[in-house]
Amino acid sequence: MLIEQSAYANRWRKVAPAAKGTFALAGFVAAFAAATPRAAIAVAALICLVTLVGARVAAGRYLRVAAPALIFLAISCLSLAFSVNVDVSASAFDLTPGGLQKVAAVGARSLAALAALLFLVLTTPLIDLIVLLRRLRTPEILLEIMVLCYRMLFVFSEAVHDTLTAQAARLGYSSNALALRSLGGLAANLTLQVWQRASDLHIAAQSRNNDGPLRFLEPSFANGRRDVAIACAGGTALVVLALLLGWGI
Amino acid sequence: MTLLELDHVDFRYPDGAIGLAGCSLAIERGSRNALIGANGSGKTTLFQHCNGLLRPQSGVVRYAGKPLDYSRGGLRELRSCVGLVFQNPDHQLFSASVAEDVSFGPLNLGLDSPTVRQRVAAALAAVGMAGHADKAVHNLSFGQKKRVCIAGVLAMEPELLVLDEPMAGLDQRMRGELLAVLDGLHAQGITLLLATHDIDFAYRWAERIHLINAGACTASLPAADLAHADDALSALEMPLPTVVEVHRRLCAQGLLPAQPIPRSHGELLALLETHQMDSTWKKQLTTTNTTITTKKQ
Repeated sequence: MLIEQSAYANRWRKVAPAAKGTFALAGFVAAFAAATPRAAIAVAALICLVTLVGARVAAGRYLRVAAPALIFLAISCLSLAFSVNVDVSASAFDLTPGGLQKVAAVGARSLAALAALLFLVLTTPLIDLIVLLRRLRTPEILLEIMVLCYRMLFVFSEAVHDTLTAQAARLGYSSNALALRSLGGLAANLTLQVWQRASDLHIAAQSRNNDGPLRFLEPSFANGRRDVAIACAGGTALVVLALLLGWGI
Repeated sequence: MTLLELDHVDFRYPDGAIGLAGCSLAIERGSRNALIGANGSGKTTLFQHCNGLLRPQSGVVRYAGKPLDYSRGGLRELRSCVGLVFQNPDHQLFSASVAEDVSFGPLNLGLDSPTVRQRVAAALAAVGMAGHADKAVHNLSFGQKKRVCIAGVLAMEPELLVLDEPMAGLDQRMRGELLAVLDGLHAQGITLLLATHDIDFAYRWAERIHLINAGACTASLPAADLAHADDALSALEMPLPTVVEVHRRLCAQGLLPAQPIPRSHGELLALLETHQMDSTWKKQLTTTNTTITTKKQ
């Protein structure tokens, strides 16, 4: 929901998704092109700055969205840096040879790639991303599944919330045993709802003359070409910067 | 001229439940129709027959005088003429954004992108949702979702719009807004058929009222005649419209004449005011006449 709120509320909501996709792609390329951790950190910081200042994504929201990924990255870095010692007489964990350099290189690159991904998802609603994927000739069946899953995600989160509230109101979660029983009931109820909803949607699609593929109108973006040109220039500058810093210039 | 007609239609669901049982009903072109019936009386089944989603097991459904053609081409033509708006908007809306969802129907008709874009804009404007075209569907309120559902069907430019309990779940303000949308569509010449439990609303809004019970249409009458349809309504365990009951009581008290019968609360108040003014004026006239007569004497 945090991602969703930011994607709709940022300053670049109306910028063509192709432009934002291009810049994010350039961010990934720059992350891999950065030969040193210093270069990768600089790339990450720049993309982060663009997201926070350019698109005006709230810093608190940004950190909350990034937190799970950062925790995961920290655990991965620790496992890269240390190895478990099975020898009882020695200490349990040893620093792996060249571990810190590896952690710095992988961690910094991952941070830059994460910043690029966050830039894209925090500035672009999924409906615009689907449009972008359609233009990139992604198989229609995958896009249809994406559209339906995205829509159903909200319908079912509402259904789960309603059922949970109804169960809790009748003491459904007052003990562990009851909670387990209630969760089972919730799962069974949702299974039926999935089946029912799928049937309802099929009927609704038929009533609007659908006979197979789901067709939707693609939104048009004013200044699309200009946006892509700016994104290309910004992305190229990012990659060049990563290369220069990597070469120690 | 009759636009849609069901002639002794029977339909039974696979589990044996009766959907329609000898249902006959006619919808006139350009009219406003309300279908009244209890839960499970067959309203939704009837609507799905109008759109060709269900096929009668016996009897005939006719559109513009011709029996429905259930071939792929025939259904495509029918569904471009008869638009169906479902009761629960979450059952109808499956695209992520408002404009995308509204474009779904016209694109299925095989129209080109500029025409679809034009129709989407016109349909959203007609339901007062033009400013929400780029919004995600899940960010809309219930009433807004309902309006998007109507826009999704309007974009197919139907002749007959069938709405399954459109007022259900809406608050008073949203009802008023939706009613204004429906009145606007009717003014454009679109025939309307809607299902409702609200007999007061049906009596006030509709031109013709159809009563349905146990899958059969038990009465089709001009809305004004509902004031005298005590027997037909009591068979459905439905009350008379409140305004009719109040009017009858006021007539019995001698406060209002038996005719005209008001259709709404507003009309009843206007009648009371007029009648009161008439009475005051008559009283004054009588007093003046008496004074003149006394003076002459």
